[in-house]
Amino acid sequence: MKNSRRDIFKFAGGAVAGALFTPAPWRLITDAALWSENWPGIPRPARGEIRARFTNCALCPAGCAVRARCVGEQPVSLAGVRGGLCPFGLTAHHLPYHPARLKQGPIEEASAAVAKRAADGIAVLDLNPGRTVSWTYRRAMALLKGRYLAPESQAVAYDLSAAKTVLSIGAPLLDGWGTPANVIAARRNFRLIQAEAVESRTAVLADEWIPLAPGTERAFAQQILGALQGGRPSVLASELAGNGPSLVIGDAPEIPEINRLLGAWGKIVVAPQEAPVPDSWTRSAAAITLLADVPDHSIHVLLIDESAAASYIPWHRIQPKLANENPLVVTFAATRGGYARHAKYALPIAVYPELTDDIAPAVDSIHPTFRISVPLVTPPAGLANPAEFVGALAGATASNALRERADEIHKAGLGTVLTYADAKETPVKELTPDAFWKALTEGGEWTQKGARRILSQAPGKSIDPAVRPETAIDLPLIAIREPGNPALVSPLMTKLYQESNLRLAPNRVALHPDDARAANLTNGARAILQTRAGKCSVEVTVDPAVPPGAVLVGSSPGIQDVCAPGVRAKVVSA
Amino acid sequence: MIAESKKTPAARYGMSIDVDRCNGCGSCMVACAVENNIPPATAGATDRTGLTWIRVFRIDNGAEGAERRSAFVPVLCQHCGKDAPCVSVCPQQAVDVDPATGIVGQMPERCLGCRYCMAACPYHARYFNWWDPAWPAGMEKTLNPDVSPRMRGVVEKCNFCHGRWHAAKTKAVANGKTEIDPADYIPACVEACPSGAIHFGNLNDAATETAQGARLPNSFRMLESLGTDPKIYYQSKKNWVREISSAPRPAVGKEKARG
Repeated sequence: MKNSRRDIFKFAGGAVAGALFTPAPWRLITDAALWSENWPGIPRPARGEIRARFTNCALCPAGCAVRARCVGEQPVSLAGVRGGLCPFGLTAHHLPYHPARLKQGPIEEASAAVAKRAADGIAVLDLNPGRTVSWTYRRAMALLKGRYLAPESQAVAYDLSAAKTVLSIGAPLLDGWGTPANVIAARRNFRLIQAEAVESRTAVLADEWIPLAPGTERAFAQQILGALQGGRPSVLASELAGNGPSLVIGDAPEIPEINRLLGAWGKIVVAPQEAPVPDSWTRSAAAITLLADVPDHSIHVLLIDESAAASYIPWHRIQPKLANENPLVVTFAATRGGYARHAKYALPIAVYPELTDDIAPAVDSIHPTFRISVPLVTPPAGLANPAEFVGALAGATASNALRERADEIHKAGLGTVLTYADAKETPVKELTPDAFWKALTEGGEWTQKGARRILSQAPGKSIDPAVRPETAIDLPLIAIREPGNPALVSPLMTKLYQESNLRLAPNRVALHPDDARAANLTNGARAILQTRAGKCSVEVTVDPAVPPGAVLVGSSPGIQDVCAPGVRAKVVSA
Repeated sequence: MIAESKKTPAARYGMSIDVDRCNGCGSCMVACAVENNIPPATAGATDRTGLTWIRVFRIDNGAEGAERRSAFVPVLCQHCGKDAPCVSVCPQQAVDVDPATGIVGQMPERCLGCRYCMAACPYHARYFNWWDPAWPAGMEKTLNPDVSPRMRGVVEKCNFCHGRWHAAKTKAVANGKTEIDPADYIPACVEACPSGAIHFGNLNDAATETAQGARLPNSFRMLESLGTDPKIYYQSKKNWVREISSAPRPAVGKEKARG
């Protein structure tokens, strides 16, 4: 039999068709998938010895104890030692690699410029007061006859464990207000009443949520104060008085007086405590000046420490304090997103967990504590050290301040140090100064339990009885700030901001569907947020959980620059 | 693994999640991403194309104004016990249920990205890699060495931090034991939860907090009527929260999305 060319083609075609019914093509697909899994573009995790190191989180005054899982020297995950961490703390080991991080700056040029003009009127604005570096600033300002500025003085500390009823007027009690481990531990013992306009994360878990009309928080506090003072009776005031010890927290100026009338003063509201400080420091330190008390146009040189910033002051509150002519603003910042937008010099600094710094006491810290944020990662070269920069201006050395403070604590011989590696608590008097310092630099925590200072009376802050909400009808919405960390956040926070809608992204605002419809805005649209203080570009989230007539604003510095609590705002299409 | 199961009694790992204690902070979501080398979102990623092996949903009681009440519900792979829909539809045998642990595993090396499993999963707990995994420069140094990053074009999902299970097993074997110490095997989301809302353990061990939580009268499982025998138990004292277990389909969310 002679095979024709047609037969060869028929055989080939049949073979191809038949092959489709064999495992071969499926095997090929599998192999292709296997091959693609090993694509060279996929990063390969580093390998090495795995060990645990301990530090304290410096992102906020809660200062949670942290166990870092390290491959060699590199932390690959962070976990809380006493309970979980917040999402910002869990991802903090990514911060040194953030694409928006500031890595270079004219440090010497800035130093020369500041030294030249320091005599005109210099001030340091410390956004995280209460640290050892804060004392360095105060000493330097005393030598330079300058001012040490703090956003607000922490006049009191709260002992939540002593409360039976807690009324929170807009405070994010369960979402970053105090130390998470303390708050969670105390939570089961008190009844929580949350009064605020939006059903926040705290309101969701409160025993009772009292929805307030947006912008009426202060009127609500005044109503309770009036009832406690014998005015118009209030069911809530009666409950607070009858189911004590009760505590009220929030920003309203009436709250200290309410707490005094409820008997919380001295029991739940106590004096904040500070770890011992060398006498030579206290004798030569400038006084703490609140920004609001500084005369307008009196600052010629302003140094702003944004490292581990616990708060952000809107620029419109700082600007009036600067001299009219050519003020010099230098900021120590991790990104260009904060005060660097307004500063002549933005100097790069170390970020947690590169940072060596102690942690300021938290609002619910009733005992003196001392914890150091021990660096887990070596900071890159070329960064500014704010303490050394300011110390050098005054001719003072600041590089050894943490050790000096630790030695002073050791000299007092009080309290205990807790080391997390072995969960052992050792009295300070049993340790040598070097052993005490070693324990602290391995992430240990010094505490002097039982040292509790009682406040004798409520601060004599005058209370303005009149509530004067902004009445502009052209700005129809009331701004409500979403709690959040304004500083640098890990790129992985997109899981919460972008890949789910769990948290409002810092550059976003949220509107009720009716308000969004009225403004012709849709979910994800670009818009302009306008207030009396200015305007900024934002993205819109449409959320039925936001009450009508309100706008929930994110925590980015740009938004905070134009917003204040309860301010009126308008959102228009960009 | 099957050989081991013959030597030791099979475990049935599961979770109990107290919805009334979840404040929706999102720690579980980012801890999961850190542990399992899940990359940050690319510019175009959305809530339907993103990768979140555990996702916390905010639900509400449907009321308006002052009567409206919300709750946060973490949803992850429910690790169905029998007739797991994703297992039966996979043409590549890339999904299996480990008889020794009851964990529904996903093998990305076998996955060809057909996404049948995503369509079959009634819990929408599976995610597709739409983009190549990418981290900002330098951040790849922070990757977990126990978990391989996955390639674009494959499906992935929660595996109860299988890397941690392997580490615990290795430790047990090194110590001459056949069973792992429960303290050595805790998934990242459980460890990260600040409010202690999530418990993890062997449901076959009646002494575990997880097994006890599963037996509480206010305990429920998602879409139990489907008969998939999920191993994630939720608890809530609120009736309207418990009703989500039988909700036919949510009014909004991934159902409305195509793709």
